[in-house]
Amino acid sequence: MHQQTAQSKQAQQDDTQPDTASQASEPTGETVISVDGLQKQYGTGEDAVRAVDDISFEIPRGTIVGLLGPNGAGKTSTIKSMLGLVVPDAGTVSICGVDVDGDSARAHSHVGAMLEGDRNVYWRLTVRENLEYFAGLGGERASDVRERHDELLERLGLLDWADTPVNELSKGMKQKVSLASTLARDVDVIFLDEPTLGLDVEASQELHAELRRLAEQDDVTIVLTSHNLDIIEAVSDRVIILNDGSVIADDDTAALVDLFETQSYRFVVEGRPAADLQSRLTTAFDVTCQPDGDQTVIECVDADSETVYALMEQFSDAGLELADVESVEPDLEEVFLRVIDDQRPGGEQ
Amino acid sequence: MATADANAETDWSPSRLAFVWVVFRKQLVLLVRYPLNTATRFLTLAALFGIIFFGGQAVAGPTITDSLGGIIVGLFIWTLAIVAFSQLAWDVTREAQWGTLERLFLSPHGFGTVMVTKTVVNVLMSFLWAFALLVVMMAVSGEWLSVDPLTVLPLGVLTVASISGVGFLFAGLALLYKRIENVFQLVQWAFVALIAAPVGANPLLKLLPVSHGSYLLRRAMDDGVRLWEFAPSELAILVATSVAYLFAGYYCLYRAQRRARQNGVLGQY
Repeated sequence: MHQQTAQSKQAQQDDTQPDTASQASEPTGETVISVDGLQKQYGTGEDAVRAVDDISFEIPRGTIVGLLGPNGAGKTSTIKSMLGLVVPDAGTVSICGVDVDGDSARAHSHVGAMLEGDRNVYWRLTVRENLEYFAGLGGERASDVRERHDELLERLGLLDWADTPVNELSKGMKQKVSLASTLARDVDVIFLDEPTLGLDVEASQELHAELRRLAEQDDVTIVLTSHNLDIIEAVSDRVIILNDGSVIADDDTAALVDLFETQSYRFVVEGRPAADLQSRLTTAFDVTCQPDGDQTVIECVDADSETVYALMEQFSDAGLELADVESVEPDLEEVFLRVIDDQRPGGEQ
Repeated sequence: MATADANAETDWSPSRLAFVWVVFRKQLVLLVRYPLNTATRFLTLAALFGIIFFGGQAVAGPTITDSLGGIIVGLFIWTLAIVAFSQLAWDVTREAQWGTLERLFLSPHGFGTVMVTKTVVNVLMSFLWAFALLVVMMAVSGEWLSVDPLTVLPLGVLTVASISGVGFLFAGLALLYKRIENVFQLVQWAFVALIAAPVGANPLLKLLPVSHGSYLLRRAMDDGVRLWEFAPSELAILVATSVAYLFAGYYCLYRAQRRARQNGVLGQY
């Protein structure tokens, strides 16, 4: 586990199990991003909003970290505080060993960031002019980065549009230009806020492949937020889930999914169970019942074989014909929803 | 990667020349790529002179020629002022709208250096605009003024320095208060009053931004006074006020960006 571990019921219940997650997520390389005790509050008195609440974590080189959380969880404030775009009330952030608040310019020499989707490039300049502008903004001469830009444009499928003004491109292409401009110069860390917004499936997959390539081949460390949990799950090595400004889960993506991988089953029965049966099943087995056409889908988590047989017996006794039964593999979305749900008032902490 | 070799990273520093070049090229590319926009902008300034010159002739007859030199110099300085001011203050607003402002802040040069570099390029661009208009005004009116580069350029640069200070101040206010474009427009017209301020009659007016520089430029271009012919005290006042406004404006911008980052509103519009 990282510094702040998943505070889920499963994590607490599984104390006795081997901590495979902790072994898998232990940083193996040099720490590139270090966040310690980060805090940010907007406003004062009754209007005060604690956007970032004592967040600490470290990210090793070449890791892709997905930052998840519901709206208002503090994702953007955390990223902007890490970049120095928001001045934190307390805590420190260092990037490649450089304190962001103390020497922001030097820290920024390691960083590229795409924070506003397709908006953060100059639409009246061409694709290549944008790349050269942002490379120049980072202090690199156009002649030195020409080859790099050609490769980048080729990989992102933008080479044919290199000399086209950005305002003539589709939203998805603009998004790609924005990413390309973020990579226009040599950086160690990139921050991507909603990088897949507006991208079609194909473009999302290209982005996914490019991010993996950057991490695996170029050792770039990537921090990204996205509402597209499929992308986060597919791309990220590690997921940090935020809620109300705090880290509520921080683990390897696979470990986090494993953590929640209990024996869940989905039963599909013909017709509708009677109300008293539904109530009995919910009380005894903690199931959820959802009508689906002429059938009813009954889901049960934490089910061992004894529970499965007991449930099937209940269906049989009630005269319900079982149409299908399957075990359910949780995905990151399910994990995310469960972790967030556990944090809500009345949820299990 | 930039830090693949830790020692190499320590030695690496961003090329400022590369940044100056891309900022300058961006301005130039946009001027050339959108010729209608560029021409309209230039014609608007030229038309203003046309209205004053031909309108003045219609109303005041040949007596307009008595003050023609002053009018031309005044418009020349006003062009310098509004181009330099608008490039700075409006630029911050537009960059926030475009979502590029935060990227400027993330430059390894540092936000201050980025803004200063953009200002230097803006000053250069303002001179290009103002000199182009000056030639048109002199050709149309037939009033050829003394344009001694050794005199006009230093005085012009110092005059624009105080305008840049005002530009920094309003850029800082834009970072904090966002939609203040109407104030920018008022400031552009306030420059008319500052340029025309009767500095000769009231020496205290020399302390205002632009005013003293405008007064000395009028004397240089209209009366043919050379730089070294001005009293050292006059030049000292110009240098002092220009530097003071420039640094005061820059300090305000610095404080404003810090406050904007504390409030989390740097990139907002």
